[in-house]
Amino acid sequence: MSTAARTPPVREGTGWYVYGAVPAGEASVEAFAGVRGVDPSAGVSLIVEGPVAAVASPVPLAEFGAGAIDERLRSPEWLEDKVRAHEAVLEAALRGSAVVPFRFGAIYHGESHIRQMLRDHELLAPTLERLRGAVELGVKGFLDSARFRASREGEGPQASAPGGRAYLLRKQRERALTEDGRAFQVACARESHEALTAVAREARLLPLRQPELSAYEGEMFLNAAYLVDTTGDAQFRERFAALESEHWRDGVDYELTGPWPPYNFVEDDE
Amino acid sequence: MNDRLSKLQQDITLIELVDRVLNKGVVLAGDITLSVADVDLIYVSLRALLASAGTIDRLQLDTG
Repeated sequence: MSTAARTPPVREGTGWYVYGAVPAGEASVEAFAGVRGVDPSAGVSLIVEGPVAAVASPVPLAEFGAGAIDERLRSPEWLEDKVRAHEAVLEAALRGSAVVPFRFGAIYHGESHIRQMLRDHELLAPTLERLRGAVELGVKGFLDSARFRASREGEGPQASAPGGRAYLLRKQRERALTEDGRAFQVACARESHEALTAVAREARLLPLRQPELSAYEGEMFLNAAYLVDTTGDAQFRERFAALESEHWRDGVDYELTGPWPPYNFVEDDE
Repeated sequence: MNDRLSKLQQDITLIELVDRVLNKGVVLAGDITLSVADVDLIYVSLRALLASAGTIDRLQLDTG
């Protein structure tokens, strides 16, 4: 062991890639039948230690070992493939029980090292308990400024006066509409987040991304994740649909994604 | 047109996925793990790549 530790970059043999943790008593390996791991030739195993099991699969160190993986990471295609595999395994886990998702790239030398890791992190079990029976849903809100302006037509000073005065009024109106739009974004973000939080177990506001790749043209004003009871899912979607129909005329488009494993509801120190 | 729309939809889902798998989730010490800094770095560059590719897709969508 001591001589092996001094050997530089590991390029042969097998390591274990860990996707997340599940409650040992509830999870079953059958949930992963037909699911391929980040190495497509290997299936998924559960490595049990006390109340918790790691969801893991063997990976060749020639591809995932120190040094080797850094080269692979430069290929966006390789990375996309592995990120999708990571998600597919966690989604399979989520269908069977609660799951604590790990961030991409947790690779261990062997099963005993994984067991040690599970023993060292006592918070995994209570976190799984906290996440039991819930999934994460993602919500984004966008404001389409053209539609917002159209909805505000007829309000405020009208540009019916002649000549230079009409020009000044138009300018004034432009500025007022831009300010209205910003104020509306703030108010609508708060209202939407409160309405959705009321039907969720937990909620997290996430950073706004500008500009964002989206099916909508508008500016993002809300980015949030909600931990929702699987039994309360319909209620959440109803509330979401109500917001959509209430604010469509204001120029708002909402985007709902998921169910996701609860990536946004596990803290780093767990 | 439909192909392009579904491609855009796929790219959006991929961004959501990358935001979670590479940027969230528990980080515990692994033996041969990438360092958190490495994962952060690949997250930032992949996200920039995806967002710009999506912008091009949408421009094509608007004019095509």
